[in-house]
Amino acid sequence: MAKLLEVENVFKRFGGIVATNDLSFDVEEGESLALIGPNGAGKTTIFSLIMGEIRQNSGSIKLQGREISRMPTHQRIQSGISRTYQVPRPFADMDVAGNIRVGMMPDSLWQMLLRGPDPKAELDVALSVGFKQEDLERTPSTLSMGDLRKLELARTLATKPEVMLLDEVFAGLTLAEIAQISELLAKKRKEGMTFVIVSHDLRSLEPLVDRAVAMNFGRQIAEGTFQEVMGDEEVRAAYLGQ
Amino acid sequence: MTQILIQGFLLSGLYALIAVGFTLIFSVGRVLNLAYGAYIMMGGYAYFYAVHIWHLPKTLGFLSAVVVGAIAGILMYRLLVKRLEGDQVAVEISTLILAVIIQAGIVLLFNDSSKILLPIVNGVWHVGSTTITKNMVMAMIASWIILGGLLAFVKFTHLGRAIQAVSMDPKGALISGIRTDRINLTTWAISGALGAVAGVFFATHTQLNPSMWVSPLIIAVAVVIVGGIGSIIGSLIVAHIIGFMEIITSTLIGAELRGIFTMLLIIIVLVVRPQGLFGRGDL
Amino acid sequence: MKGIMTPRHVALWIAFAAIMLLLPQVVSNGTLRIIIFANFLAIFAMSWDFLSGKTGYVSFGHPFLIGIGAYTTAILSYRFHMPIEYSIPIAVLTTIAGGTFFFLPALRIKGTYFALVTLAFMELIYQLTQVIRPDLTGGTRGISGVKTLLVGAVPNYYFSFLLMLGIALVLWVLARTRLGTALDAIAMNEEAVSGSGLSTTKLKLFAFMVSAAVAGIGGAFYVHYLGSIAPRALFDIDFVFTIIVSALIGGASTIVGPMLGAFFMTFLLEYLRPLLPGSERYLIYGLVALVLYVYQPKGIYAIIADLRDGMRSKNANNSKNSGKVGDGKAA
Repeated sequence: MAKLLEVENVFKRFGGIVATNDLSFDVEEGESLALIGPNGAGKTTIFSLIMGEIRQNSGSIKLQGREISRMPTHQRIQSGISRTYQVPRPFADMDVAGNIRVGMMPDSLWQMLLRGPDPKAELDVALSVGFKQEDLERTPSTLSMGDLRKLELARTLATKPEVMLLDEVFAGLTLAEIAQISELLAKKRKEGMTFVIVSHDLRSLEPLVDRAVAMNFGRQIAEGTFQEVMGDEEVRAAYLGQ
Repeated sequence: MTQILIQGFLLSGLYALIAVGFTLIFSVGRVLNLAYGAYIMMGGYAYFYAVHIWHLPKTLGFLSAVVVGAIAGILMYRLLVKRLEGDQVAVEISTLILAVIIQAGIVLLFNDSSKILLPIVNGVWHVGSTTITKNMVMAMIASWIILGGLLAFVKFTHLGRAIQAVSMDPKGALISGIRTDRINLTTWAISGALGAVAGVFFATHTQLNPSMWVSPLIIAVAVVIVGGIGSIIGSLIVAHIIGFMEIITSTLIGAELRGIFTMLLIIIVLVVRPQGLFGRGDL
Repeated sequence: MKGIMTPRHVALWIAFAAIMLLLPQVVSNGTLRIIIFANFLAIFAMSWDFLSGKTGYVSFGHPFLIGIGAYTTAILSYRFHMPIEYSIPIAVLTTIAGGTFFFLPALRIKGTYFALVTLAFMELIYQLTQVIRPDLTGGTRGISGVKTLLVGAVPNYYFSFLLMLGIALVLWVLARTRLGTALDAIAMNEEAVSGSGLSTTKLKLFAFMVSAAVAGIGGAFYVHYLGSIAPRALFDIDFVFTIIVSALIGGASTIVGPMLGAFFMTFLLEYLRPLLPGSERYLIYGLVALVLYVYQPKGIYAIIADLRDGMRSKNANNSKNSGKVGDGKAA
């Protein structure tokens, strides 16, 4: 299997604080990787670095062997990565269909001007994350947390990513919603999607991943199967020690 | 040369005074109060009314400016800014509208002709070939005293430190038991009072008229933006850069081009280094 | 947010156009001149709205753009005797090019700062017009005796109305495209737009160029209606205020809103004239604007829509109360 995403020796400093310290890991095509670690370990930072929302001080980030560190965010999305956020922030005044529509747009002014939206494709994406047809016209303010996470997934999927970075996908959800999202992710995995998932809900995370990387203070402290990583002394210490 | 130096320091002192109240609000509330220029105007008019129309002593004139400015600050915060809950764009737009309302109110009360405010202290000094009005010297001294006082207030008093805490981290301050609402209100009152005092000096430097608020507002904006947010020292330095550049351009090139440098400075700094020259770099 | 034209809408628009076309038969020339001003104000407000209302990048310096258009055609036609049919298109192109050249760097910076840069630009050009080449710009006194395009209130009324309607139509069509949706999305959450794989710089630049083009068209035709131009009246904070308030009071990002707002504000200003002859009118004007803005930031358009919805569904009011998320600005 080919390496899809490679993070090599990435170093990022915010003022005096080192957020990621010589961090390296890679993700193979079709693989699902868990990124775990205590609060402040640098998990969200590495997502932001991969997406180009912030820039690393040194190190490289490659997608399909191509260096992407100099690309602006939107080009990285076009190359096939996308992410969701801990706190979903949908387009508040647009309905579900509108949110998905923005995700599906091509980055070409002419096409945006001349070609209208594709309601059928929008519906397909919405259905694929578990929305019903009548949900298309609902606005974000009427959605539950679970639905908002689904909306984020839908908008992200609409960009046709090859690898999805999911940040705390289970936070704030009811058990039923967790089950629903898990099922959805399992299905996408079976279809061949590559994932990097951050979650504090280790029990829900375990069945969704092939491998895990543990971080603390911006460094990688363990890597292996989920069981191996959770059994690691340093990982246990990091979790208990906080 | 001496002339440029002396006048530069005098004007810069005045500009620092104008900017300080604006800096205060910007660093604490992170909002641009575009009605700040209106405090300056109201301060000038309050003093004019008290001293030139009611013939009260000058100290009472200043006191009335302070009171008017503080009340304006409090009302602005209570009735407008608090309601808009930190929506920066809404605060900008509504304070701009408010500034125009206050301008119209001034026209209604005092009509729109320009008024000359007599100097607070009469007399001039001669240094070589340069003439210095005692009034401008007084403005500069007042500016230094007020700035020094403000720095001491922020550093050494309980309330001052609370203001600083809110400016650094509003949520953290709230958790530590600081009543951010009360602090914000106090800051707005202080800012209004400072603006009004600056207005009295500014009005004696230029003159009173209902559209006088725009240029000090732009100076305040320039000082804060270029100096960097939350940096009182940075503001002081930039007030001097602007003051000196104005004096240099108006003596060497022409008085009409005075303001152009300020505008260019805002534009260039915002575009090249949006966090300001001395700022914390968080925006 | 719906883009559907119902027959009722079409009927309303036809009725509106018919009333406007018949108006010169019933009202005085004085009233027509007021409406002409409202038409131009509506054009300026729509121009502002396409940039600021849509993308959330508030411009406090729109007269800068209007001024480029107005001055270019005034100078070309008055000083160089260029025919209007050349000078106006050149003025519009100059506005787009000049505006882009100056504003483009400013689009990198975020909301509040963008507003300040635009304000600084307006003050800058105000001072520059007075000192640089006063032989061309006329300095502080400006230029008068600029060739007028049409003579009399009635032709000017028809022309300005059709110009406004044409611009509104073009903007309306643009807003209905996916591009329009993307611009709306920028105001709501710019990060998520680039997170959807779209270049926000390209989108903002487009919005800006459209806005500049409309401002240039409005400014150029306005100067050939007035026949004169002076820096103080143009690069004035009251003018900025009137444009922004018209757009916001009517309803930002709605096309109809800025038109509505421009008419509302113009007539308010005119009806206050007998009571308050001078610039103290702005007191009432501003208070109305402020109260409306704070009460309903989405403007008259939203108030009308709310009233209509309220009447239509008095009992179906339970849909809007679950947890509110994403008020546009967080973190």
